[in-house]
Amino acid sequence: MRFACDTGGTFTDLIVEGDDGALALYKAPTTPNDPVLGVLDALALAARDRDMELSEFLGQGEMLIHGTTHAINAIITGNTAKTAFLTTQGHPDILVLREGGRIEPFNFRIPYPEPYIPRALTFEVPERMDGEGRVVQALDKAAVMDIIGALKAQNIEAVAVCFLWSIANPAHEIRVGELLAEYLPGVPVSLSHILNPALREYRRASAAAIDASLKPLMERYLGSLTERLTAAGFQGRTLVLTSQGGMIDAIELAGAPIHAINSGPSMAPIAGRYYASSECTEPNAIVADTGGTTYDVSLVRRGRIPKTRETWIGQPFRGHMTGFPSIDIKSVGAGGGSIARVDDGGILFVGPESAGAAPGPVCYSTGGTQPTLTDACLVLGYLDPDYFLGGALALNTGAAEAVIEEKIAGPLGLELAAAAAAIVEVATENMVQAITEITVNQGIDPADAVLIGGGGAAGLNSVFIARRLGCPRVLIPETGAGLSAYGATISDLTTEFRSIFFTTSEDWDEEAANEVLAALGAKCQAFIDGPGAGAAEHRIEFGVEARYASQVWEIDVPLASGQFGGDADLQKLIADFHAAHEEIFAINDPSSIVEFVGWTASVACKLAGAPGGRLAAGVGPELSGSRPIYFEGAGIVDTPVHSPAQLLPGREISGPAIIETPFTTIVIDPGARFHLTDAGSINITP
Amino acid sequence: MDSEQNSKLDGAKLAILSNRLGGICRKMGNTLLRTGRSGVLNRAKDFSCCIVTRDCELLTAEESLPIHVLSGPDLMARSMHEFHPDLKKGDVFLHNSPYHGDSHPADHTLLMPVIDDDGVHHFTLLVKAHQADIGNSIPTTYHGTARDVYEEGALIFPAVKVADNYQVIDDIIRMCRMRIRVPDQWYGDFLAMLGATYIGERELLALGTEVGWGILHGFTNQWFDYSEKRMIQAIQSMPAGSAIAQSTHDAIPGTPSEGITITSKVTIDTDAAMIVVDLTDNSEAMACGLNVSEACTRTSAMIGIFNSVENSVPKNAGAFRRVKLHLKDNGVVGIPRHPISCSASTTNLADRVQNSTMRAMAEIGDGLGMGEIGCFCPPSTSVVSGIDPRNGKPYVNQLFLGHTAGAGAPHEDAWMTMLHAGNGGMCYIDSVELDEIYTPIRVTKRRLIPDSEGAGRYRGAPGIEVELGPVDCRMEAGFVADGNIHNPLGARAGGAAARSDQFRRTADGTLERLEQCSQIWIEDGETLVSIACGGGGYGDPKTRDMERVLRDVAEGLVSRERAADVYRVIITEDMEIAGPATQAARAG
Repeated sequence: MRFACDTGGTFTDLIVEGDDGALALYKAPTTPNDPVLGVLDALALAARDRDMELSEFLGQGEMLIHGTTHAINAIITGNTAKTAFLTTQGHPDILVLREGGRIEPFNFRIPYPEPYIPRALTFEVPERMDGEGRVVQALDKAAVMDIIGALKAQNIEAVAVCFLWSIANPAHEIRVGELLAEYLPGVPVSLSHILNPALREYRRASAAAIDASLKPLMERYLGSLTERLTAAGFQGRTLVLTSQGGMIDAIELAGAPIHAINSGPSMAPIAGRYYASSECTEPNAIVADTGGTTYDVSLVRRGRIPKTRETWIGQPFRGHMTGFPSIDIKSVGAGGGSIARVDDGGILFVGPESAGAAPGPVCYSTGGTQPTLTDACLVLGYLDPDYFLGGALALNTGAAEAVIEEKIAGPLGLELAAAAAAIVEVATENMVQAITEITVNQGIDPADAVLIGGGGAAGLNSVFIARRLGCPRVLIPETGAGLSAYGATISDLTTEFRSIFFTTSEDWDEEAANEVLAALGAKCQAFIDGPGAGAAEHRIEFGVEARYASQVWEIDVPLASGQFGGDADLQKLIADFHAAHEEIFAINDPSSIVEFVGWTASVACKLAGAPGGRLAAGVGPELSGSRPIYFEGAGIVDTPVHSPAQLLPGREISGPAIIETPFTTIVIDPGARFHLTDAGSINITP
Repeated sequence: MDSEQNSKLDGAKLAILSNRLGGICRKMGNTLLRTGRSGVLNRAKDFSCCIVTRDCELLTAEESLPIHVLSGPDLMARSMHEFHPDLKKGDVFLHNSPYHGDSHPADHTLLMPVIDDDGVHHFTLLVKAHQADIGNSIPTTYHGTARDVYEEGALIFPAVKVADNYQVIDDIIRMCRMRIRVPDQWYGDFLAMLGATYIGERELLALGTEVGWGILHGFTNQWFDYSEKRMIQAIQSMPAGSAIAQSTHDAIPGTPSEGITITSKVTIDTDAAMIVVDLTDNSEAMACGLNVSEACTRTSAMIGIFNSVENSVPKNAGAFRRVKLHLKDNGVVGIPRHPISCSASTTNLADRVQNSTMRAMAEIGDGLGMGEIGCFCPPSTSVVSGIDPRNGKPYVNQLFLGHTAGAGAPHEDAWMTMLHAGNGGMCYIDSVELDEIYTPIRVTKRRLIPDSEGAGRYRGAPGIEVELGPVDCRMEAGFVADGNIHNPLGARAGGAAARSDQFRRTADGTLERLEQCSQIWIEDGETLVSIACGGGGYGDPKTRDMERVLRDVAEGLVSRERAADVYRVIITEDMEIAGPATQAARAG
């Protein structure tokens, strides 16, 4: 038996995969003060469902895969370690200046962000390398010893080291790492060239700073998780999800905890990729995961999940860049809790302010006073007040109606239902813009993509979004309400290795490129033989980051193999680059030299069995046959309500319709058609 | 059928269409950043994308550089119509004439009318990007001492057709390739701009087809009305009044020895809900490259206003109906006439227009205006050129190696990395490593300067010191610095920022002061030292929140001595606020 447990902002989702491959989904409230408790609660729910003691149930588990928000929460709430930053002399303000840039150039009420590590804990080390790896200034050991003394005196808990050009010659970073280990034992250190061997000193420095600052607490958290699981009877392997969309052993993660920043959300595209390949014919997929406060969008391009090197903690330019490649996820403040308001000029806005879980939407009757997207969905009849979360929370329709009437319908001069529809429409547009932005950046045309909806609220407006974007198909997988947790059950043990080596199409050095690739391949093999030992299968993928001469932003081009065997292979790579550039940016320049900068090898070891397990049918109250629902353009329509259990696979039904499960509601607009697939998904033609 | 008259869109539809048009601008901008070839585009992001209506009014310029767009796109679109009365689908025009609406010649702009299959013109797209080189007589895009456009030497394109039916007109390309330094770099940037333009056109055509052109034009009218209404409310929430403020640019060759003083008279008329900026009380145009184009004069006055207007008021032609500007014909700021040079029109004196306008706003009432934003362009933002010894090839590019300049605002400390007033902080800062790869230089120092901020209730940014030199070669550097004599002033009793300066460090380590406006060679073994200004403060430093003072001291930005002398906050050696001593100091 395997467990996949994703701790989200509101709920901790657990998917249990039985030895027969059957799946079961559970949701327990997240417990922010002690997230491990939420994990144990969810496991207890599953044990109870099987009439077992927790220890007996856990004893049957081989593996627990965990997605956690612990790292990101610690950063947001400022609870990370007291961390020092060691940098090249003359350049103390790398974390202060960052890379410049700003949004909203006329807004002078936003404070300039504080550096991730204060200047007061920044230390300049006399040393300097140049871009070719030559020593310009030797490392001053005495100065380093003085700094270590100061670190001791200030009770520093972690140290980040980033020197200019450490990627060209890491000797000084390595030496400082040795001195720290010797004279400041027990204090964790992150060296930039090991953690994130990438150009641009800010990105390397920021990654090292964030990573070091997370080490003490993530070590404690992961230690506590494994200890308490063991104490509760679990004897299997504990793995944690990474921002790169794979998983690694908990102990490994504690050594580089920056990988846990997007731990949970990175799993939605893994699940999406599986469903896109097994159930859809479109070459690409847009995976949208709805939550209470955010809407997370990721992509699958021809079976690959695109990554980005610009992941921000907080808003772009107002927060910190992780500097680290991770799965490209665009997140906007558009969730069920997003607040609607009408401004002085009569324009309707929805979000980014959110009522969150507390005080929550007005209809929850938990103290919320501002109309939210959830309230609007209730007013429109999308949600059944008596069957929300399978009836666990009764919704107050009257209160939702009153607040939308007062704060939205009145000021806009609209009827109540039209006002509620307008809230949904504006929120939908925010989601559409998020999708547009990420698809633009990655060069994906929504007309060639299936929209895959995950999260409890995905089904409410997916048809609408698909129509707006021109997506030919919407798929709401059976596991949609726990998409990230499902992704975890099918994810691989992965890691990626990266090396900087510069060559061009003009001065091509095949021998050197092959050496770099061989070294990367050897690291992958060591991983396969180490953590990946016993995997059912494994694969290594090579890639190169390339650009036109004098561009500075590279695009990823997959390599057909891990070695070049002559000019034909180079010509194919060049052609692939031109094609990729054209696909993403609408232009290419075949006359230009192509530069190859970063070389990557990623390795994936398959620990799971064959995917495709089905969710055990949920039990819930009998559903009503129909209810009145407002659709824009059609007005109030008496709409049939279906339960997936009552649907016949493959039988096409025309909208309007509602499909309800304890965890999700899917709205099928008039004009759309849908059917249940053999795999249990709802397939919608918008 | 044009349903414009009949359609009345509700608040939700307005929000959605506005968002979609903004999305088109963002998409264009992203393409340009990722595909540009010169550092000024792909490292510094010195470009803007916007949409104007068929009547040549600014509709949206999402996330653009303020100085590029508030006025100028309107003027350029008008000149396109004037010179090309019959626009066709697939036309693209190259425009960089400051005499016909461009900001300055270094900002090459592509204009593309968006024309449907029936040949009807609906909108015009603009992509404006600062070039690494434009063929000036010297390798810089800011020729401060040029006595006229002839000495400046730029090729000027007053809305010249550069693509016909989506095909590039090679005649223009050949001209540029013969005149512009490092032509492949320029051509790569041109292609990137063209790609961004085509992407914008494709998107806008799709949007018009989807929602209907009539609806879209109806939207623009309603959106302008909404924006105007928001602007009226914003103005009516301000104190009424009138004030005059001045800001002086240091002297350079071609200017009077006392420098150039800009006078801005601002009147806030809450009854009429209008803000009037009068810039007529200024000098005649001068025989130098600092004259400010009409586009930049208008934009600068508007930036001075909009920096005090509630941020959510859309910056478009609707809101601009509530702004009235008086400009001087042939003024040093105003409406310069050919052949006067406007080479450095977007930065130096334009910043002085913004600073004087903002300080006049501040005079009218607390809560308005700002301190002076630091001066441009110090040697850390030089245009550098030479031969790269690593490959024997010539290079030319503007560096953005370090800038602060932000000024204290009425409710918050400076946004540190403003670059200069007109930029609004939108440009990126170069990575040292990237610059060292692409240019044969070494950056030995880049650090904030303690005690250099404009003090205030809300303080300005500290200044920044950057030191760089050529590696295994000599390097030519051009810059037009300001702020050594007339350093950035504070507003409403806020303090001034420290002075700028620039030096050559010779091989034996001696510092030689350089002229503020220089085009010089730095030899192998020498370095260029740039001391760039921070910004002025806002409000009396003695009223600054004590915790903020403590934080600045702890962070090494302000010394304990300065905290005591200027902010009147006494901080102990243990980094604690001495309560009674501070109270006494502040009462005094």
